[in-house]
Formats: sequence, C-alpha cells, structure tokens
Amino acid sequence: MEQQDPGTTFDDGMDSFVEKFQSQPYRGGFHESQWEEVGGPGVSARACVGVVPTPGASRALRRSTAKEFEKIPLFMKNSPSEIDPLENPDLACLQSIIFDEERSPEDQARTYKDEGNDYFKEKDYKKAVISYTEGLKKKCTDPDLNAILYTNRAAAQYYLGNFRSSLNDVMAARKLRPCHLKAIIRGASCHLELKNYVEAVNWCDEGLQIDATEKKLLDLRAKADKLKRTEQRDIRKAKLKEKKKQDQNEALLQAIKARNIRLVAEAAGEDEDSASEGLSELVLYGLSSENPCGARLSVDDQGRLSWPVLFLYPEYAQSDLVSAFHEDSRFIDHLMVMFGETPSWDLEQKYCPDNLEVYFEDEDREELYCVPPSSTLLQVLQHPRYFVKALTPTFLVCVGSSGFCRNYLRGKKVHQVK
Amino acid sequence: MGEDAGDRGSSADGLAPVGLPMAETSPKAEAAKLLPFLALGERADLQAAAAQHVLALSGSGPGRTLLAGQAALLQALVELAVAPPPAPARDAARALVNLAADPGLHKPLLAAEPRLPVRLLGCALDPHWPWAEEAAAVLANLSREPVPCAALTEALAATEPGESGLERLVRALCTPGYNARAPLHYLGPVLSNLSQRPATRAFLLDRNRCVVQRLLTLTQYPDSSVRRGGVVGTLRNCCFEHRHHEWLLGPEVDILPFLLLPLAGPEDFSEEEMERLPIDLQYLPPDKQREPDADIRKMLIETIMLLTATAPGRKQVRDQGAYLILRELHSWEPEPDVRVTCEKLIQVLIGDEPERGLENLLEVQVPEEIERQLQQQDHQEREQCEREQQELELGPGPQAEKAAST
Repeated sequence: MEQQDPGTTFDDGMDSFVEKFQSQPYRGGFHESQWEEVGGPGVSARACVGVVPTPGASRALRRSTAKEFEKIPLFMKNSPSEIDPLENPDLACLQSIIFDEERSPEDQARTYKDEGNDYFKEKDYKKAVISYTEGLKKKCTDPDLNAILYTNRAAAQYYLGNFRSSLNDVMAARKLRPCHLKAIIRGASCHLELKNYVEAVNWCDEGLQIDATEKKLLDLRAKADKLKRTEQRDIRKAKLKEKKKQDQNEALLQAIKARNIRLVAEAAGEDEDSASEGLSELVLYGLSSENPCGARLSVDDQGRLSWPVLFLYPEYAQSDLVSAFHEDSRFIDHLMVMFGETPSWDLEQKYCPDNLEVYFEDEDREELYCVPPSSTLLQVLQHPRYFVKALTPTFLVCVGSSGFCRNYLRGKKVHQVK
Repeated sequence: MGEDAGDRGSSADGLAPVGLPMAETSPKAEAAKLLPFLALGERADLQAAAAQHVLALSGSGPGRTLLAGQAALLQALVELAVAPPPAPARDAARALVNLAADPGLHKPLLAAEPRLPVRLLGCALDPHWPWAEEAAAVLANLSREPVPCAALTEALAATEPGESGLERLVRALCTPGYNARAPLHYLGPVLSNLSQRPATRAFLLDRNRCVVQRLLTLTQYPDSSVRRGGVVGTLRNCCFEHRHHEWLLGPEVDILPFLLLPLAGPEDFSEEEMERLPIDLQYLPPDKQREPDADIRKMLIETIMLLTATAPGRKQVRDQGAYLILRELHSWEPEPDVRVTCEKLIQVLIGDEPERGLENLLEVQVPEEIERQLQQQDHQEREQCEREQQELELGPGPQAEKAAST
C-alpha cells in the first residue's frame, strides 16, 4: 500500500463536511416550532426546549414528542406498510440497502423469506405470500432455500383457505427436497381439507417412513382414515336409498300396468296415441316430479294403491285434495268426511254428501261421465275413457239438483258409469 | 420303483429318485452325485436339471430325510436359492420350502447353513428379487418352530440405519406393489409366527407409531387367504396383550370393525339397528360375502373373544354392536366348530357380568377340579363337532349356502 501525503488523504469532501459542524448548527433535531403535540393540555413547549426536564415534565415530554420520535427509523415501533421516499427519506434509504439488487440472489431470497416469515407471524398471510413469491422469483440456486420458500408459501396459502395452491406449492417443494417433512405434513393437511382422504393417508404413510413417530402425521392419518370410512358409509347409504326408491317406483309401475290404468302426459293437447307410448316414462316422470301439494302415489303392504285425488267444484271455483285416496275406498266414504260440515264457500249450504254428484271429463271428446258415489276409485280409474293426468286423478263435483249443475251439463254429452 | 440291494443306510424305503439314469446305486450316493452339478458357477442347464431332481426328492418324506442327511448338498441348495439368474433359484427355493415344512428338518437345515434365516430374509424383503414369495414361504415354514423363529427375530433386529427389519417387513406386507414380481402373501404367516414373541408384539402395538393400524385393512384382502390368515393370526396374538385392549378398541386403532367386517354378510338391518353398528358395517351392499375360509372365521371370533376378557373391553365390544353381526353369523355358519365358538362369544356378550375377582378372564386362577371339568366338556364338544362334521361329509349333498344369490 503506497504511502499517501497526509494532506491529501482519501476524501477531500470529508474534511469540508466535518468542518461544517463547527460553523453551522444541526438542523435535523427537534425544534419547538416543528412539534406536533399529542400530549395533554397545559404542556408548555417552551419549558421543554434545551432544559433538563423534571420528572413530571419528562412524562409530558415523552407524550408530546412521541409523534416526532416515530418518524425516526431507530425509534419506530411499527414499520409503515408503505414507505414514501419523500415523506421519510431515511427509511426509504434503509430499505434500498436491504433490497439492493446488487446483492446475491440467495441473500435477496433469504431476505424475502424473512420478510414473509414476519408477515406470517403477524397473520398477514396475503403479504406473506407476496414476499415468498418475490423470494422465489429471484430463482436462486439454493434448493433448500427454495424448498423452504415453497413450503412457507404453502402454509400461508393454507391459512388463506387456498388448499389447491398450497398443495401445488408443497409438491414443488418436494420436487426439490422429497423428504422435507414439513411439506409432507402440509400436503397431507391439504388433501384432508380437499376431501382426498386416500391421498391424505398415502402422504402420511410416506411421511411416517421418514419419521415413524411424527405425532402430527399419526393424528392426520387417523383423522383421514376415519373420514374416508365415513364417506364410504355415506356412499353405501345413498346407493341403498336410491335402490330402494327405484324398487318402489318399479313396484308402482307394475301395479299401474297390472290394473290397466291409462295415463296421460301433463301437457294439454297430447293426443291419445302418445298416451300409450312410454308408460314407464310417464310414471317415473310423474313420481319424480313434485306434486305441488306434496302428495304422491303410494303402495301399501298388501299391494294396494293410494292416489292423490283432486276434487274440483266448478260452481264456486274451489278444490280439495285428498292426499291418499285408497283405491278400494268409495267416493261416498270420502265425501262423507269432506262434507261432514258444509264448507265455508258453500253459500247456499247445499253441498251435503247425499246431494253431490261426481263427474269426470273425457277431455278428448269433451264428454262427461257421471260416477256413482258408491263406486270405488279403482273401478273408475279402470274405465276405458278415464285418463289419469300427472298421476293425479281429478273429478268434478256439484249438487245434482242445483241450477248451476243443470246449466253446466247443458249442451254436453253425459254418460252414466255403471 | 426298484429297490436296491445295496446300502440301506438311513433312507428307510430306499426309493430311488425318479428319472435318474443310475438306478442301481444307493440313493445316498445318488444324491451325492448331484452335488457337483449344484455348485455355483456350473453350467446353467446342468444346475437346473440337478435342482429339479432335488425339488422332486423334497416332495416325498423319505426324499426329504435323504436330503437332510447331506449337509453339503443343503449348503449348495441354499447358495442356489439366493443366487442371481441364470441360477435355478426358484426350484432351489421351492425345495427349501418342502424341506422346511418338516419341523424335524429344521435342525439339519440350520446346522448346514446357520445364516439361512438372514439370507432368505434379505431375498424376501428385496423389492427386486423375483422369488421373494418362495423365500417368504420358507421363512413361514421355518418360523413356526421356536428356534428358527428366534433366529429370524434376531436377524430382523439387526437394524440398518433408519428402518428396522420388522418395519420393513410390515411395509413389504402392507404396500401393494412393493415387489413388482412377487405378491409376498407368505409374509403374512411369517409375521403371524413372529408375533408369538413379545418383542414383535411390542413393536406392533407401539402407540407412538402407526403399525397395527396398517394391518387392519388386510383382513379383507380378497386375493389370498394365506395373507388374510397371517394377518388375522397376527392380530389374534396381539390381542393377548390385555393392557392394550382399550387402545385397540378405541378410536386410534378401532380394531373391532375390521374383525367384524369379514364375519358380516348382506344383512338387511332396520334403520335403528344399522345406526348401532360401527360405521364400516353400515349399509353393506347386497353382494357382501363373508370370509370363505372357516379357520380364519374361527380365528376372528377368537380374537374378538380375547378382547372381551376385561370388563371395559366387554363393554366396548357390546357397545359397538358386535352382537348383531354375530347373531346373523350364527344362523348362517355351516361349520360346527366355528358355530360353537360363535355361540360362546355370544354368551359372553349377552351374559351377566362376572363377579368381582373375575374381571380379567385371562388372569383368573382356575381351580384344578373345575379345570378338569372344563377340559372334559371341551373334549366332549370337540367329539360332537367331529361327529357333526362327519355327518356333513357323508350327507346327501353339499350343504347349500344360505346366503341369497341373485
């Protein structure tokens, strides 16, 4: 090292800089005119300048200078989330040293890792993910560091509920370090949350090959196994239920077929021919679609059917639904119950069981058929001109002797059912 | 075949080995003549032929005795059994299987090659060894006797860094596709024999690990009754450790459903009954089959019986709905002795709690007189079973399965 003339040592600028202190006052310090007071009333600013504070005053001093102190990086209690270089040049300067692009990728990645870990500790998982991502972007050549970055990001994603992303990250981590236990534990947890129970158990087993007594893996495995078995039970249960339902529907279909009852599709204007096609489709469609009142065709232990039956009263535009009209029961039996008391809409109080006449309409031919109330439902349903619509037999009821009835029937062809 | 007039020696019947050209000389000499062809490094085709001869010999009792007397031959056989291709390792191993099946031959076998268990273990647990199943079968036969079993346990205990031998064995048994060329079903009986020793049971029942839990699903393994039987035998031996019963029956292991599942059929229980069963036994499909092997069914029932030895165990078994499954099993069970075992277990489940001092049935002191009576009863029962069994066999036709088939 060559000797230099002491007079012209390293930096002339340094000398002149130091000399300045002897002539110019320090302007960076606190000054009463710059203070923002935060403290209580009655604190005299003047009393604090340049004077050794008395105990009481020092408390006031602390309170009122808190805000000023906070601006100095050394005294900051919390780091600001955004650093404005104009507002706070010191802090921006420090940051640029830490995140200096000239440092090695490994160092930079490590710094991002630490930053991410700090965010993670504060439960700020979104920011943690960003930090870890920045670290990974550096593409440093240290596989351990990258594996850790992936694993830590996976943890942050996990707590954000992004289980798929978390899983992708641990898989990337394992590509670099297949035996990284933390990654395996995290992966198993993700599979558990995603309900991939078989995969969860497999990952646990892989992990247990590395450390056979790792408690977290043992617990995860037991949990995943139990959930898997419960899921299998639920599948079996659903399957059995579906089968039972299908068997029931099949039985109903057979019962209708055996009775030779004619069905018709719901849509109006369907002609007779289409009624014969797809009997099973009609039944199954009818059984699966919800009757607006929730009533449904059913079969009892003796194989007898019960139908939901709609009674319409055209005189007053009213209706009644009998939810389960047993096919062997007679109309009169039901009418006796339904009209035990005359209904509220029966203004003339004439709807008594004895007075009532029951009709069904052959919509195709626009003809009416009068049903003796002593007939059973099955007898009527088996009438060659009776078509059940939407699996809900419908009948018209009016008082035979009434003016309305006579009017209603006028001009229509009426047959008597035996 | 031809009886020789020459040296009778140790082989009683003196049956000449089939196919060998020199039918006039003594069998012992015959066998000795094979020896040079069995040596490692011989021509592969000669080795193969010699190995086939040895295999044929090992198929008969006298043949085995003959071979057992030839230490050098046995040594050569072992060398071949572990040798890489083109050596006839498979036939050599199969000959060893036959030899090891005879407990009287274990001594000469181990005398000829003391490291036999270690070397075969290496083959059985080698994921790339094509004849690992045969090696496992030899070990299964050997480990039935205490001396070879001890030797095998020692071999397993010689830990490599990391995984212990037992852990590797369990892993080989539980991991499908561990060995792409050998199914390794015989590791089941090997483990079962090893579980007769307390050290093995201690490993299997280690609460800080996950060992016994991995065996449980194998009780339903469809492709091999050898494997299933081995696993169930292992579980039964483990259940002699009554201190572990509560843990075994508890949620961390949950052993009972896996014992009941092979015994359950396609029962149609009511909704209320169904909810009382363990989850794994609920809503079983209509094509559910019971365990076809009667011996395994019996072992399963015996295992559950062991779990009912303590009062808390009995309670757990009762609460988990075992009775329902056993009731159905009893009405289906075709084998008399299995049915009797089932009855006994049902009795325990529905019977009253025993008086004080009898809470752990495994530890009860049975007075001599009562012990004699019980043994007599046992004897009578067995006779009754045998009679029923004979009746079944002589009966008009095979007993029809009660299980409905579509």
